[in-house]
Amino acid sequence: MWRYIGRRLAVAVPTLWAVTTLVFFLMRVVPGDPAELLLAQSGASAEAIARLRTQLGLDQPLLVQYGRFLFQVLRGDLGRSLATGRPVTRMIGEQLPATLELALAAMGIAIALGLVLGLIAALRRDTWVDSLCMTVAVVGSSLPVFWSGLLFILLFSIALRWLPATGEGTWRHLLMPAAVLGVASSGSIARQTRSSVLEALGQEYVTAARAKGLREWMVITRHALRNALIPVVTDIGLRFSFLLGGAVVTETVFARRGLGRLIVDGILWKDFPVVQGVVLLVAAIYVLVNLLVDLTYALLDPRVRYD
Amino acid sequence: MLNSLRARSRRLASIAGLGLLAIALIACQPPLPQPVETPAAGPQPGGRLVYGLTLVVSGIDPHVDASSELGIPLTSVYDTLVYQDLDGHFVPGLAEQWEVSDDGLTYTFHLRRDVTFHDGTPFNAAAVQFNFDRIADPETRSRKAAGLLGPYEGTEVVDEFTVRVHFRRPHAAFLDAASQVYLGMASPTAVQKWGAEYQEHQVGTGPFRFKEYVPRDHLLLERNPDYAWAPAVYQHQGPAYLDEIEFRFFPDPASRVLALEAGQAHVMGEISPQDAARLEESPDFDILRVPIPGQPLQFFINTEKPPTDDLRVRQALLYAADRAAIVQAVFRGTSPVAYGPLSPVTWGYEPSVVQMYPHDPARAAALLEEAGWTDSDGDGIREKEGRPLRLEMILMSWGYVPEVGQMLQAQFRQVGVDLQMQELAFPAAVAAAGEGQHHLAPMVFSSSDPGILSSTFHSANADAGFNWAKVRDAELDRLLDAGAQAVDEARRLALYAQAQRRIMDLALIIPVRDYVNLNGISGQVKGLRYDRRGWFPWLYDVYLAQ
Repeated sequence: MWRYIGRRLAVAVPTLWAVTTLVFFLMRVVPGDPAELLLAQSGASAEAIARLRTQLGLDQPLLVQYGRFLFQVLRGDLGRSLATGRPVTRMIGEQLPATLELALAAMGIAIALGLVLGLIAALRRDTWVDSLCMTVAVVGSSLPVFWSGLLFILLFSIALRWLPATGEGTWRHLLMPAAVLGVASSGSIARQTRSSVLEALGQEYVTAARAKGLREWMVITRHALRNALIPVVTDIGLRFSFLLGGAVVTETVFARRGLGRLIVDGILWKDFPVVQGVVLLVAAIYVLVNLLVDLTYALLDPRVRYD
Repeated sequence: MLNSLRARSRRLASIAGLGLLAIALIACQPPLPQPVETPAAGPQPGGRLVYGLTLVVSGIDPHVDASSELGIPLTSVYDTLVYQDLDGHFVPGLAEQWEVSDDGLTYTFHLRRDVTFHDGTPFNAAAVQFNFDRIADPETRSRKAAGLLGPYEGTEVVDEFTVRVHFRRPHAAFLDAASQVYLGMASPTAVQKWGAEYQEHQVGTGPFRFKEYVPRDHLLLERNPDYAWAPAVYQHQGPAYLDEIEFRFFPDPASRVLALEAGQAHVMGEISPQDAARLEESPDFDILRVPIPGQPLQFFINTEKPPTDDLRVRQALLYAADRAAIVQAVFRGTSPVAYGPLSPVTWGYEPSVVQMYPHDPARAAALLEEAGWTDSDGDGIREKEGRPLRLEMILMSWGYVPEVGQMLQAQFRQVGVDLQMQELAFPAAVAAAGEGQHHLAPMVFSSSDPGILSSTFHSANADAGFNWAKVRDAELDRLLDAGAQAVDEARRLALYAQAQRRIMDLALIIPVRDYVNLNGISGQVKGLRYDRRGWFPWLYDVYLAQ
């Protein structure tokens, strides 16, 4: 298994190189000049724009800039932001805890809600309970976060005054954004759980388990659900990576820090080093989470081995 | 600019949804605690004020960065050599008095002798020299302050408390520049100690000390107990009233006002006109409308691209635009209709531009006819030599530009002009307008000095820069160059008055509305005023009613 992990991590290096290279050139092909954007607020002269471009090293040939970027990355230096002048690694480090916190909490809610709804729907297949659970799942994941977030704030912060509307720091700050994001992510988990539990319930090992005289909840949890979880875990893994890349709308509505806003602002202001740094990090997260998902298969299904 | 950029396209949808929801929820809303009015209670010291800002995306070193958001907190951290009072006069700050040489090349400042920085460093002539030299140093990569310093040559220390600032050319706007936080005086000791990380450890001489900055989250200031050099623009002397001021960032336009209502901030800048109307009806909140000097929300008309290279077509667009209707519909009447390239609160504003282009569709039609554009096939759109009168407008998502664009489209259609709109992300829009792909492109620049007109109308900025009208007019260049150097006030006023009329004679812009910053304020907050630039609060005099 360790050899498998080592091999997977070795393959990740060219993946990360390809992703960052692509982003490096894409950001520069898309129209827009960082120097001009940075000066758009003060209404500076053409001369000042040209001067700042030189000062930021943006007038140098693309390949020279790319070479310097690669050299820096290899030394673990992601450079300094064009907009803030601060080291990108520090900027990411400041945003990461808030993102992790939100992603973990939201994922917890999404998994709990999704599994319960999916399981109930599967067990009460084709009844009104099934329809109700699936409707809740679909509606929950279709509500746009910028709308449901405001709705939560109006209800819990302004009308009831139970929770702070915005900010971060305590579990009370976390509750609303995590719930909004968790509900939004629970829909597909619920649907996936329902269909794979239904599939598992039709398998012979379930009939065998029942024939052994096992109690029904044992049959469902030990045999049906466990086997049904593999596609669900894949879905959860993808969703979790996505959330770790930042949940920009949720962060914005609830005025939280996070990688999502950092990268969106980076793109909006053509802050090349920030975008490159965050993309590199998010790509690494995807690689890692995918690996974890694959390793989880082995835990869930004894037939999967990585030796 | 930055500020209005925050208004993303989500805004409209969220507001529509919110309206419905608000109606549903108002019924179940418990009564809010009423602020207790203590009769005749004067300013009470103490307390922490929470001030909501839009997100600061850039750095926050006033010598380096350009955003208005950084000036909102840092106006309380830094003092400036001179201050501008609300009538526009320059009054002593860190400089007790000053003289300007007749040739406008040298400014001599006599400094206060009783001022120390927050870190104990004495404020003196060497500190002034250090600050201006730092701003001018290319290594600083200054985005705004260096521009304010203009043709800076150097600072000469005459004695411990006298400095002479020399310029290569006369710099008429220097006092205006020296009164801005971007040229605020920073402690040389702290700047040298922290280097590139100075923005997180700023040290000034102002009424509040910089305590803590967590980027994208908050910025905390604490009272400077030693402050004893308040300029005359303020209403008291000695230390400030508030113990602390916490600036928090609220990037979402829709939840910003909700945070104010939920009691998470005492002051919230850049409230939408819709929210402002609602808050004004509440007994717990006030709306402070602060007009912003500089250029209005305006659409530049490209003078290089046919058919707007024809003066008559450009003038027709101005006559066809019913700006009063736009301001009423989009801005709910919260800001004045704009008529020229500068707003009325800007020094040097020329009022005669108001009469130049009244809404007159018949005159617009006549001008288009004269220019050879007629509707020969009866489809409602004019043609000339077989080509329809079709104009391209670049839209961006800030400042209600898309809504304004839609109204202009309908108004132009009535005189037979087909306006095509393309909404672009900010970088792409700036690039497209810079390359002159547009007929019409929006922009707004705030500035307390009319010198901003050079950036947008001088031919030197037509190829690269923000002259999006792409105008190259020798007469206009002459007026703008002379205005930037005219030290004599009366002459300077006359030059900029001519420049403004020239800009409108040439029909280079469609001005839409003068920018007004709508600030939502909790009833607890007393004594809040904003400086002449409209963005920057004077928090020194502010206190919280108990």
